[in-house]
Amino acid sequence: MASRLSRFWPTLSRVRLSSALGSRCVSQTPNSSASGAAVASDLQPVSPAAQDSHGHAEVSPFEKNPDFHGFHHHDSFVDEWNMRLAFFFGISVAIVVGGTFIHYLPDHGMRQWSRREAERLIKQREAEGLPLMTENSYDPSTIVLPSSGEE
Amino acid sequence: MLKVLIPTIMLFPTIWLTSPKWLWTTTTAHSLLIASISLMWLKWTSEAGWTSSNTYLATDPLSTPLLVLTCWLLPLMILASQNHINPEPINRQRSYITLLASLQTFLIMAFGATEIIMFYIMFEATLIPTLIIITRWGNQAERLNAGTYFLFYTLAGSLPLLVALLLLQQSTGTLSMLVLQYSQPLQLNSWGHMIWWAGCLIAFLVKMPLYGVHLWLPKAHVEAPVAGSMVLAAVLLKLGGYGMMRMMIMLDPLSKELAYPFIILALWGIIMTGSICLRQTDLKSLIAYSSVSHMGLVAAGILIQTPWGFSGAIILMIAHGLVSSALFCLANTAYERTHSRTMMLARGLQMIFPLTAMWWFTANLANLALPPLPNLMGELMIITTLFNWSPWTILLTGLGTLITAGYSLYMFLMTQRGPTPNHIMGLQPFHTREHLLMALHLIPVILLVAKPELMWGWCY
Repeated sequence: MASRLSRFWPTLSRVRLSSALGSRCVSQTPNSSASGAAVASDLQPVSPAAQDSHGHAEVSPFEKNPDFHGFHHHDSFVDEWNMRLAFFFGISVAIVVGGTFIHYLPDHGMRQWSRREAERLIKQREAEGLPLMTENSYDPSTIVLPSSGEE
Repeated sequence: MLKVLIPTIMLFPTIWLTSPKWLWTTTTAHSLLIASISLMWLKWTSEAGWTSSNTYLATDPLSTPLLVLTCWLLPLMILASQNHINPEPINRQRSYITLLASLQTFLIMAFGATEIIMFYIMFEATLIPTLIIITRWGNQAERLNAGTYFLFYTLAGSLPLLVALLLLQQSTGTLSMLVLQYSQPLQLNSWGHMIWWAGCLIAFLVKMPLYGVHLWLPKAHVEAPVAGSMVLAAVLLKLGGYGMMRMMIMLDPLSKELAYPFIILALWGIIMTGSICLRQTDLKSLIAYSSVSHMGLVAAGILIQTPWGFSGAIILMIAHGLVSSALFCLANTAYERTHSRTMMLARGLQMIFPLTAMWWFTANLANLALPPLPNLMGELMIITTLFNWSPWTILLTGLGTLITAGYSLYMFLMTQRGPTPNHIMGLQPFHTREHLLMALHLIPVILLVAKPELMWGWCY
């Protein structure tokens, strides 16, 4: 049922929107009783200039501030410092310092050691002509088995 | 653990006490610092087990990559939301960031929990901020339907989980993962036990999502604002995978037979959702279905229960989390400029945003599992272990890989190539913020090529 409603709703609301609100559409969501009266009344007051849903006029922010970084629309000082801090903490601290920390982490589980040790042993045994590995893990003469034929 | 949890909780005073001018700057910087501190979790102090200073919150090689991913994602979500939330009244902006921070806190406690009931409570708790984000800040009327589907699918799956956990507590006397990993295998031989087995896993299969119960995902991902989509795709789906991996330890030997239908469903889901992607007109919907496809492979890998399957699943979860979130950010940049998610309307973007086309290209290549990126490594490990289980799966996984490449290429060509429509010639240039956002997503993916042992989990 909800899906049926949502199929009709955009058309219905578009009709209402265009007649009732005219060119003052700031909200993406159509007026719906389910979402309450939260649509136009407590958003920022609209200025006479045509606005899109971001609340800024259709003029690009790059016109007022050619160095707009995307962080803060009206204050270029805040915009610039936001950019600097985001880059510093994001790249210089998190990626560079964090990456260095990760690079120098100890060899967990001795994985890299075991690879190096295996390569070293293989090289050594091939040079000496020994087999790479013996079949028996333990010396068979040290294994004491119970003799068969007893209880 | 506390050295990350307490700064995360201190985010709440930061949000509410900062002056409006500096709100986004301070929260971005604070959350990036938390992300940097969280990297310390990667130093595992014990050889094979848990690292903890107390018995309630601990990390181990399975939860650490997911925790680091969670902490990394919060600053990215804040960066991504800055543009579209900025026009709102200041208290609403603060509420939005508070929801993101509370989601972060719940997720850290969920991944760090040692008691399964604590994990369950945090698993459920993450539903609430996500529901509020989707239904309050989503952009279309369908968001209400999406919130309903999201909430009730997950709840319907997790109520049996609660019963199953209480039964487990009854029979074993404990629900601490530290203890349960050493417990004797349970005697599981009756129909009741099989239902218990299903109860343990269904919640996580719904969350992953498994193909048959995936309907909530396209709705929720599409209707959520960008931060909601990011956290859903990157972390919340992985809660399902993580939960499954933790529960699998106790569910043997029933899993040998009972996992069969779910593996098949997951594999079939890869192909079906991949094919659906090829027919999508809505960009976010395409990315959402591709998430279902990748997570189907993860689900199959976990249900196989071999070391390669588990390792492949973790690697694919981390890699997919970063790449999927990157794709949602890119889709949002197109949406913020054209106010439409229809791919036909935002075509030929390469001509007007050439640098961004590089981000689109890299993200799509990562999505289709290009070597040497970890997406491929995870997929290969899972495909290999599935082949070992049954050679016939190669038909499904191979076809799935092919379709994945197909729809990733389709996404790239539809958005970047082709004639640029006249109505988008005058779009705003790409912001520094958006480039930084994409860099912070994709640089970790590329760096993980160099040290994949961070993601291998405890099976290696």
